[in-house]
Order: sequence, then C-alpha cells, then structure tokens
Amino acid sequence: MIRKTLIAVAALSAFLALSRMSDAQAAAAEANYKFYCAQCHGLEGKGDGPNATKSQPVSPRNHTNTVEMSKLSDQDIINVIKGGGAATSKSTMMPPFGKTLTDAEVAALKDYLRKLCKCKGN
Amino acid sequence: MRVSVFSSIAVFSIFAAGVLAFAAIAFAGVSEGKGIFDSKNCGGCHQIQGPAKEKTIEDMLTKKAPELWYAGSKFRKEFLEKWLKDPKPIRPMEFYSLTKKNGANHAKLDAKAAKDVSDYLMSLKSSDVKAANIQPKSGPQGRVVFEKKQGCYGCHEVKKGAGVVGGLTGPTLVGAGDRLNPDWIYAYLTNPKVFKPVKDMPVYTGALSDSELKNLAEFVAGLK
Repeated sequence: MIRKTLIAVAALSAFLALSRMSDAQAAAAEANYKFYCAQCHGLEGKGDGPNATKSQPVSPRNHTNTVEMSKLSDQDIINVIKGGGAATSKSTMMPPFGKTLTDAEVAALKDYLRKLCKCKGN
Repeated sequence: MRVSVFSSIAVFSIFAAGVLAFAAIAFAGVSEGKGIFDSKNCGGCHQIQGPAKEKTIEDMLTKKAPELWYAGSKFRKEFLEKWLKDPKPIRPMEFYSLTKKNGANHAKLDAKAAKDVSDYLMSLKSSDVKAANIQPKSGPQGRVVFEKKQGCYGCHEVKKGAGVVGGLTGPTLVGAGDRLNPDWIYAYLTNPKVFKPVKDMPVYTGALSDSELKNLAEFVAGLK
C-alpha cells in the first residue's frame, strides 16, 4: 500500500514537473514570438506587424489562417524559422533565425504557431 | 653651445605647452560634455557603461533608448554633433516597441552643448570595433546580399528613387553612411552579441559568409 502510494506521488510529481516545464516553454515561445516574429507577423499573428508596410514586396504570412498554415508540415515550419524563406523556396523577406534561436526554442515556436492557426500539419 | 641648449629647451617648452593646451581643450569638451550628459540625466535612458548586461528579452524591453557605451566606435562625430542640435527619429518606432511610433521628443542641445556632448560620446570606445578598413561601396556585391539574399529592408527603411521603402522596426538606414562608422557596421554584423546580447534582429554570423558580411557592411556604409 505504502509502495503504491509512493509510486503515485512520484508519478504525480513527475507529471507536475513536466507540465510546469511545458508551461514555461510555452511562455518562452510566446515571448520569443512577440519579440522576433511579431515585428512582421503582428502581435496576434495576423500578418500585420509594423514591418508589413505597403512598400514591401510580399505580405507576412497570417499565422491564424488555418487553411494556409495546414499546408505546412511541422518540419516546413522549423525549416523556415531556422533557414528563412530561402530554405523553403519562399521569399527571403523572411530572415533566418537558426543562429539566433536554439533548436528547442524553434520547436517551441512551431508549437506556438500551431496554437495560433488551430491546425496541424499534413 | 649654451645658446643652442637654451634654444632647444625653449622650442621644446613651446611645443610641450602647445600639446598641453590642445589636450586641455580636447579634454574640456569631453569633460564638459559628460557634465551636460549627467546634468540632463541622459543616463536615465541611455546605458553609458559597458559591457552589455542584458540577458533576457525582458531586460531588453525595459530599456528606453539605445545604449551609448560604444557610441565613439559606432557613430561619426559630425553626425552626432549635428543630430544633437536637431534630433530626428532614427527608429521609426519607439525603442523596441511594436505599437508606439517614435514620439520624436528627444532633447535638443544648443551648438556648444552639442559639440561637448558629441566629444564626450566619441570618447566612449569599444575595443571590439577593430580597424577593418571597411570602405563605403554602392556596388552590386553588397546590394545582392541586402536586397536579394536577405531582405534587410524588411525591417530597415532605405531610399528608393525619390521615396523611402522598407519596414519600421529597425533603425532607418537612410543616411546610414553619414551616421555610422563603417568598421562598427562590420563589427556589429560579425560579433553582435558584444553590443547587443539580446536583440530583435537575427544573428547573421554563420548564416552569411564573412565576405558577404563584409560586402553588406560596405553597402550599408554607403547608404545615403
């Protein structure tokens, strides 16, 4: 009985620790998004950041567009964040963040984008 | 012989006095400039002592204005003096804000104060800005990196024809050649974390080759 209780407590602690870590990662991803990505994509991800001026050759992607974002696989998103538009034959107006963010931060940003679009990759 | 010794001493004395007088005048500008900088509490917004301390995005967002602890390596003296007399926004947005336009409300100095403060700011050097002999160029090599390989104007305004195009979150690059020390541009592109450990511009070291970064620095240094 004691053993079962201990196992249950340990499992619960591990679960709570993991969920805390996950919450922290999500918060960090949101902070990164609002600092780096929102300059062009907007604070709410609608593609309307301060850099989306009329003089730009392309419009930043609207990350809340479920249909368009569904066309991208998770790996596409990771590649474009790390390598910029050139990595996926898109506009080089999207710069590369592979030397700015860690792989874990990029992966967390991908998860954040999936929340914004309420979609999954194909 | 004695006359010759005396005349040598006299010449040396005059020379030494001249050097001291020159040093005193130069130092007076720096010293008076620091006095003005402190009395106007410019340090309330501008970080004046290096090295860079910010570690997190939050650290960066609490800053109100660009750090100036390496101003003497970053700017051209003529630009600083002129700008302090008639400050015009360099960043279209408030410092690191995505919602507020630059209020264009920087303090304005009279001619004497502008000279002294620019003398003071020019005395603030960074040993990480080395002489790299970057020369302003408007040729295709740098332009290709700036416009095609990367879309630098996505965040930075530049002149195009009679107008200005580009994004608003970075400092304008209209007049960058008059404003910035070419060697600083190269140092910032190749070793950015020394100056800004956390910044909203991507790190390009490793994403672009050293020769591309050099071409880019030359191009930015040539922007009018």
